[in-house]
Amino acid sequence: MRSVAYAILIGLIGAAMLHIVLVLGLPRFSAEDAYSRVLGLFEMDSFFRLTRAPGTTGLSDDDPFLRVAVCGFSVAGGPVRFSAGGDVPFWSFAVYDSTSNEVFSMNDATAVQRKLDVIAATPRQLTELRKLPSDALGAAILVEMRDPEGYAVVRAMAPTQSFEESARDFLAKASCETFRAEN
Amino acid sequence: MFRVPFLVALALSVAFGLGIASAVQALKTTVGFGVIALGPWTAFPNAQTASADPYARAHRARQGRLLYGGAEGLQFIASVDSAGAPLEAACAYEIAGQTPVARFWTLYMTDLQDRTLTAAPELPTALNSWTALHEGDGVIHIRLSAAAQPGNWLALTAAGPFRLVLTLLDTPTAGSSGLIDLGMPAIRKLGCGSHA
Repeated sequence: MRSVAYAILIGLIGAAMLHIVLVLGLPRFSAEDAYSRVLGLFEMDSFFRLTRAPGTTGLSDDDPFLRVAVCGFSVAGGPVRFSAGGDVPFWSFAVYDSTSNEVFSMNDATAVQRKLDVIAATPRQLTELRKLPSDALGAAILVEMRDPEGYAVVRAMAPTQSFEESARDFLAKASCETFRAEN
Repeated sequence: MFRVPFLVALALSVAFGLGIASAVQALKTTVGFGVIALGPWTAFPNAQTASADPYARAHRARQGRLLYGGAEGLQFIASVDSAGAPLEAACAYEIAGQTPVARFWTLYMTDLQDRTLTAAPELPTALNSWTALHEGDGVIHIRLSAAAQPGNWLALTAAGPFRLVLTLLDTPTAGSSGLIDLGMPAIRKLGCGSHA
């Protein structure tokens, strides 16, 4: 009888260890996290507009008043510049790394002239960018990416049906491209 | 003579059975620590950050949703009314009160799998701060019911339990714990079934 109690006790200790391993390890192995889903869109270096119905990767535009677009990117081959502008009552922008941690976020009230202009770069690329003449960068906000891979999300608000077109337009014009400084 | 194999099998089945079941259950029932609860409304202001706890990280990796960044907004979800009873589409509710400071808010309904509820295009299933009618002092009153109501009304067409999602966009409260002092609208049940 005592050996059965021992076996159960060892089983419980094992269960606690397995619980910890599963919870800690899941973000590393999950194929359904937001970054894997963005990569599954097979659209790198451009914003992909989500639809109301979940797409093939399960990402969808949940809020009826917000139109959402995502862009998977990597700064390994050079800094990436995000830009967008247009007449929407509200827009917001966020950069996440490949573990889906927020790196940077902003909205139209914090943008210069209400236009989105952000450059994501590795710490080394940032020092190169800062050497450039100031007019090459304009009013761009520089964001440091410790992890070279990540994804960006742009949301545009359409509070009424009549704003639907400008929100769509805003996302269609949004760009997410590798930045090359003209010399 | 099968004593030792039996004991080993017992230990292993307890370890794997309980370990897996408890991990899955923990990730299903909780979104992690760091919850802000204001009446029936709950929000996780740090769920998308690097400082999120391991449960929040595992939960968000399983859900795979695009979370709101700190400067974007804060999403509050209610699955119970102010009295603590689960929200049921067969009942009628009234949401009344003031929303915390934000440039915009949107309100919509989802099922328990987080799919947005929709109805025929002529029926309202979502509201935002531009389309909702506010009273003089900024208070909002929203009726949720199957039958049409005057004022702000959201149509409850599907049967079964549902959730309310209130998203505050560009809210100064997203990053601060001072949110605790702020009020969220109350969700009052008006009646169920034929009394709705």
